[in-house]
Amino acid sequence: MSDIENRSSGRVDDHVDELTALLYLDGELEAARTREVAAHAETCAGCRELLRALETEGAWLRKGLTEEEPLPARLLEAPERGAAPWGWIGVFGLAAGGAYTVWSRLIDPWLAQAAQAGFTGWNLLMMLFFSGAFWKGWDAMGNTMEILSVATVGTIFVWLVPRFGRRLAMASVALAAILCAIALAPSAGAAEVHHGNHGDHYMLAAGQEVKTDLIVTARSIEIDGDVDGDLIVWSQSVTVNGHVKGDILCWAQHLQMNGSVDGNVRSWVQDLSLNGTVGKNVMDWSQDFDLADKAKIGGTLTLWGDHADLNGPVAGDLLAWGRSLQINGVLGRDACIRAERLSIGPTAAIAGQTKYTGGQQPDISPGAKLGTPIQIVALGEKGPPFRPWKHHWHPFSTLVARFLFWVASFLFGLVMLLLVPGFFRDATNACQRIGPSIGFGFLFLVATPIAVLIACLTIVGLGLGIVTFLLYLIAVYSAQIFVGAWIGEKILGASTCVGSAIGRLALGLAIVRVARMLPYLGGWVCFLVVIWGLGALILATYKRLHPQVAAVA
Amino acid sequence: MSGVDLTELLAQVRAGNRDAWGELYRQCAPAIFRFCRRVLPVHEDAEDATTEIFMKVRLKLGTYDSSRPFMAWLYKVASNHCWDTLRRRHIRQDLETGDVDTLPLEHPEPGPIERLQAERTSQEVRSGLAKLPDRARMALTLRYYAEMSYEEIAEALGVRRQFVGVLLLRARHQLREALAQSSVRAAFAGRNT
Repeated sequence: MSDIENRSSGRVDDHVDELTALLYLDGELEAARTREVAAHAETCAGCRELLRALETEGAWLRKGLTEEEPLPARLLEAPERGAAPWGWIGVFGLAAGGAYTVWSRLIDPWLAQAAQAGFTGWNLLMMLFFSGAFWKGWDAMGNTMEILSVATVGTIFVWLVPRFGRRLAMASVALAAILCAIALAPSAGAAEVHHGNHGDHYMLAAGQEVKTDLIVTARSIEIDGDVDGDLIVWSQSVTVNGHVKGDILCWAQHLQMNGSVDGNVRSWVQDLSLNGTVGKNVMDWSQDFDLADKAKIGGTLTLWGDHADLNGPVAGDLLAWGRSLQINGVLGRDACIRAERLSIGPTAAIAGQTKYTGGQQPDISPGAKLGTPIQIVALGEKGPPFRPWKHHWHPFSTLVARFLFWVASFLFGLVMLLLVPGFFRDATNACQRIGPSIGFGFLFLVATPIAVLIACLTIVGLGLGIVTFLLYLIAVYSAQIFVGAWIGEKILGASTCVGSAIGRLALGLAIVRVARMLPYLGGWVCFLVVIWGLGALILATYKRLHPQVAAVA
Repeated sequence: MSGVDLTELLAQVRAGNRDAWGELYRQCAPAIFRFCRRVLPVHEDAEDATTEIFMKVRLKLGTYDSSRPFMAWLYKVASNHCWDTLRRRHIRQDLETGDVDTLPLEHPEPGPIERLQAERTSQEVRSGLAKLPDRARMALTLRYYAEMSYEEIAEALGVRRQFVGVLLLRARHQLREALAQSSVRAAFAGRNT
């Protein structure tokens, strides 16, 4: 007989105790004890009353719990098993196709071109993100930040309020946040759109003015009038003689800019001839770039191309990579150049530092005025690519570095655990759903850069795209935290308090780190951990954003 | 819902009849949703759980032993799912059987128990239930809603069979206490207004 049965066989002041009474009513007592209790209840009014009270309490509970409750509308239809495997296959297929397309059509040729110019690895990315030229401008960023802050506030509301409200309230809050965001958005949405009049030619005549953005697609485009907003054009040949108060975004074979632009110029063209004035930055992907001596750029000039002639002044930095570059104009700040050939003419002047990386010695005219002596990094015909992660460290240094990486990830996880314990737990638990986590993670890993790229190519999305990309990097880094915590829990069991959760996190992260050091498999482990953890993060976020209502029976 | 109808429906569902699956769902979903509502305190969780349980049922229908009552099997699937959900969401701090000794053996006066039954409505019972710890709430629901035996409850909650009585009695105590506290609060609030 167990200790519990022994305990339930006792009496209290010659009465049957409550546990024995309950077991008796539920038919869970042994036969002999059942007979004993029945006999006692025959003669004891107090025990009879207790038995009756417990029995009616049971019936009362049954009535309370089984009372009808209407089925919510969303549950009226039977859930279908559907074609889940086919759905997943489709999702993976599309993601893989998208990844291949982006890689083969965009990234690979771009990297090849960059490598040809001597740029490889992360330094290219760093220059892209941290050079002022890549930003549309802080005014545009201001608008983006306003929208982002409203969206953040809306998200926080959606996150917090479900505990106190009902689903309808959630929908209203979300709707209000979206409306606020729309209300605060800049009026860039309004635009005139033209598809070439007078045959395949579009012309905005001198004296004419477009009050909004102007979007044009035509075989040839000529802008002699004024555009108050941005000018976005797709064409074979574009000539701008008028005044554009916003930015110019141009996809064309030839772009000739003779007028003036108050904002930025971003162009993807075969050749760009800049004879006018640009108030802010110029970012250009072209085979040939020509900056005339009468032209002027108020901000930074960023160039990717084959050949560039700079005869006019640039007030900001120069960032350039290409095959050959000739400078005859005045540069107001620093110049960072990667090219096979560099020629600095007698009329050139560079106020800041000049850094040149290339295969040949630069040809610098004695008449050129350089703020500081040029810094030259020579590369061979095919110089060693810059790969900071391929440094040949001493084994001990490597171990120390690994340990420091582990410490960094552990501290990051610790901060998450202490600041957002609920979310941390949700994300860790979501790792349990391995299939959906990996699926969503893979999708997110592939789809986000594509979305960022698309956002960057649109007029208001550049700032948003960059912020999203930075958040994406943080999400990718945090993926290991959730997987590590989950592994720790699998090994040591579910955590019962914060202290034990920290221990499990430390152990799990250490295992992940060690697994990543495995030869051949390390890369795959890293990839798996990233998509798995990312997926868990998404599932936990979805769970958090999904409206929840406190129980009111 | 008659047993014959259900058996026939199940046979048709197994044969791939989508209408039969819809009918089976219509017959059983309200009961399973109520079960989930009792066990999971958050309404949306109960809705999600109901959907997920029926997805599981559709996948696992092949493992159902038709010699046993279908609803009992269905409740078992539902209880496993809900218990897993609760365990995933909360770090369980209660031990399985370690606190048996904390339940005092006593012969309580039946009067207060009966008074509570007379005073509290079914809705208040459900509100009180929502305030109980996960395992207590689960135990009461399995016993008094799903009508599970001690053996089945022990299996569902992963405890020893002998512990189920203690678990149920303690859950009743906790529910009585929750309801009594809400009466005190209501009386106090009434006096202040």
